[in-house]
Amino acid sequence: MSEQETIRTELIAKFPFLADKVRSPRPRRLWAEVPSEKIVEVFDHAVRKMGFSILCTITGLDQGASLGAIYHLARESGVTLNLATSVPKEKPVLATVTAHFPAADAYERELVDLFGFEVQGLPPGSRYPLPDDWPQGQHPLRKDWNVAMLEGHKPPGEMNHA
Amino acid sequence: MHKPHEIKVPMGPQHPALKEPESFLVTLSGERIKELGVRLGYNHRGIEKACEERTYVQDVYLVERICGICSHSHATCFCQTVEEIAGLEVPRRAKYIRALIGELERIHSHLLWLGVAGHEIGFDTLLMYTWRDREVLMDLLATLTGNRVNYGMNTLGGVRRDISPEQKQEVLKGVDVLEERTKYYIGIATEETTILKRLSGVGVLSHDDAIRLGAVGPTARASGVERDIRRDDPYAAYDELSFKVVTTDTNDVFGRAVVRLLELMESYSMVRQLVNNLPEGPLTVKAPRKIPAGEAFGRYEAPRGEDVHYVKANGTEKPERVKVRAPTLANVQTVAHMLKDRYLADMPIVIAAIDPCFSCTDRLVAVAEPNGTGKRVMTWDRLHAYSIEWYRRRGVDFSRLNETFRAGKDRE
Amino acid sequence: MTVVDRVVTWARIKSPWILHFNTGACNACDIEIIAALTPLFDIERFGIVLKATPRHADVLVCSGPVTRQIKDRLMRIYEQMAEPKFVVAVGNCACSGGVFRGCYNVTSGIDSVIPVSVYIPGCPANPAAIIDGVVKLLKTLEAATRRPAPVEG
Repeated sequence: MSEQETIRTELIAKFPFLADKVRSPRPRRLWAEVPSEKIVEVFDHAVRKMGFSILCTITGLDQGASLGAIYHLARESGVTLNLATSVPKEKPVLATVTAHFPAADAYERELVDLFGFEVQGLPPGSRYPLPDDWPQGQHPLRKDWNVAMLEGHKPPGEMNHA
Repeated sequence: MHKPHEIKVPMGPQHPALKEPESFLVTLSGERIKELGVRLGYNHRGIEKACEERTYVQDVYLVERICGICSHSHATCFCQTVEEIAGLEVPRRAKYIRALIGELERIHSHLLWLGVAGHEIGFDTLLMYTWRDREVLMDLLATLTGNRVNYGMNTLGGVRRDISPEQKQEVLKGVDVLEERTKYYIGIATEETTILKRLSGVGVLSHDDAIRLGAVGPTARASGVERDIRRDDPYAAYDELSFKVVTTDTNDVFGRAVVRLLELMESYSMVRQLVNNLPEGPLTVKAPRKIPAGEAFGRYEAPRGEDVHYVKANGTEKPERVKVRAPTLANVQTVAHMLKDRYLADMPIVIAAIDPCFSCTDRLVAVAEPNGTGKRVMTWDRLHAYSIEWYRRRGVDFSRLNETFRAGKDRE
Repeated sequence: MTVVDRVVTWARIKSPWILHFNTGACNACDIEIIAALTPLFDIERFGIVLKATPRHADVLVCSGPVTRQIKDRLMRIYEQMAEPKFVVAVGNCACSGGVFRGCYNVTSGIDSVIPVSVYIPGCPANPAAIIDGVVKLLKTLEAATRRPAPVEG
C-alpha cells in the first residue's frame, strides 16, 4: 500500500465519519472534508499522532452560505494532508491552532482580515495584512466585495496627473 | 495637488503627525532586545483577489510579479497546480527547462543575498564583487528568456521558449566561471576571522525551534532541519536529478551563509545535469482555456524556502480561488525568537539572513527606550549605520577587508 | 539666473543626490536600481550618490505601485525634501500601477500621490534604462533653473 493509502485507511479507522470524505487523487496528496464540530479533534490527531508536523498555510474560501477553511498539513516524507472544513457565514468561528503551530497566527489573521472569520484563542497582535485604516466590516476576499466599495479608490482607466 | 513645504523631522520622540505604522517594534532592556514585534503588510497588493478577476493565463504573469527574485518560482508553482487540476502531463523537455531556469534563479538569488549580507555587516566590497558575478547569470537569463527578471518562461502546459545548442554551451561556460568564484567566496567565509566573529553565534535558532516555528529553506537547513521540497515532494525534473540537501548544524547566521554557498555548488551541478541530459520533445501540451472544476495544492522550493500555491477551479476561464504562501511569511516568525536577548546591533543581519522578500531598506523601526522612558523611531538606514558602528567599537571592523578587496589585493 | 542659482544648478548636475524608496514593489526594480550602482553599470561615475535622508536628496527614485500603508510615508518623504526636487518613477508599477493596477490595496502609481518628473517603464526597468532616465533628468535640470511650482488643485 502506498503511503497516502496507509494514511487514508488509518484516518477512516480512527474517524469513521470520514468514511467517504477522504480522497487521494495522486501520490503525496490527501484531501479530507471534516465537519466543523470535528475539525479540532481530527487536526489534533493528525499533528500529534500521525506525524504531520508541518503547517504550510491555511486557505480561506467564500462558499456562499458558508466560509471554508483548508488546513494544509505536511509530513517530512512529502505527503500533504489537506483538511477542509466549513462554518456558517453568519457565525464563522474557528479555534486557533497556535498551540500546535505558534507561527500560524499570521495565517489565521489573514482569515480574519480577508474573510471575516472569528478565530477563538488567537493571541493578541497587529492585524495582517490589511492597513489600520481599512474600513470595518469589509472583507476583500468575500465574493460580494469588490474594490468599488472602497471609498476614494480610483478605478482603472483614469490616469492621475499632477 | 497639495503644495510641497518643508517639515522638520525630529529624531526624538515620535512626532504626532507622523502616523505611519512602524514595521519593527523593539523593546529594549538595557542594550538587549527584550521583545521584537514585526508588522507586515506594506507589500500587500491584493493579488489573490486580482487572480479571481483575471484569466489563468493572465494570472501566470501576475503571480510572476509577487516577488522580483523568486518570480519563476511562483509562476512554475502556479502552473504546476493548475496543470494538476486540468490533468495535464507536461512534456519532459519542458520540465527540464523549468528546472533549469529554477536553478539559475536560485543561483542569482543566493549571490544577491551574499551581497546584501555583506552590505548589512559593512563589508560593502563583497556586494560589488558578488553582484558583478551575478551579472554573468543575469546575462544568461536574458539570453534564454528575453528578460533579466520576470522571465515569462512558463505557460500552462509547459514552457514558451526553447533552448538552443549554442545557449546550452553559454550556460555551461557561465556556470564554470561562477563555480570558481563561489569556491573563492567559500574560502573567504570560512577563513576570514572578521566574518566569523560577526556572524557566528548570531541569530541563533535551535533545531527544535526551527521546526516548532515552521522555518523553511536555508534558514531551517542551517539549523540542521533536512527539508527540501525538491527532494521531499519533487516537481518539474527534480526526480531525475542527483543532488544533496545541504544542512549545517551551527544554527546561526554563519550557518545560513554556508548553506547558501554550498547550495550554489549543488545548483551548478544540477544545471550541468539538466543541460547535458536535456531530452528531446515538445515544449508544451495544449491547455484548455476553461479549467474543469477541481482543486490542487502545489509546493516548490524557492531560493528562500517552501512556496505553496492552492488553486480552486470552477469550470470557467478564471480561478475560483488562488492562495499563495511565500516562504518569507513562514520565516519571519522566527526572527523575533532569534533576536530575543540579543543586541539591537544584530537586527539588520539577522533579518537579512532569512533573506526576506520584503524590501527592508525603507522600513521604520520603533525602539522603546530602556525602562520604558519613551520611544524613538529610526529609519532602517540609521539602524544599519548604528549596527556597523556598534560592532566596530567592539573590534569587528570590515575596513581592512574592504581596502584589500578594493585594491584587488585579495587575489594575490 | 543668478550666480548662486548657476552654482547650485552646476553642483546638482554634477552630483545629484538620490533617495531610493520602495512603495510596495516586488523588489525587482529596487534590485535593478542597486545594480545600477554596481561596477558593471556604475551610475556613480555620473556623480550620483545614494543618500539616506530626504533632507539631503535632490531626486527621489521610487519603485512600486504605492500601497495604502505606504502612501502617507511617501507624501511625508516628498514634503521633507527641499526645493528644487524631482521624482523619478522606476518601473511599470511606479508609472501606472503596472500589473497591480486596479488591485484593492494599491493606489495605481507614484503620480497618484506626488508629482513625477521622469517615468522609466519596464518590468523591471533595466539598469541601463534607469541610468538613461536619470541622465535625461540631468539634461532637464540644465535647461531649467528652477522647477516651476506644481499646479495647485
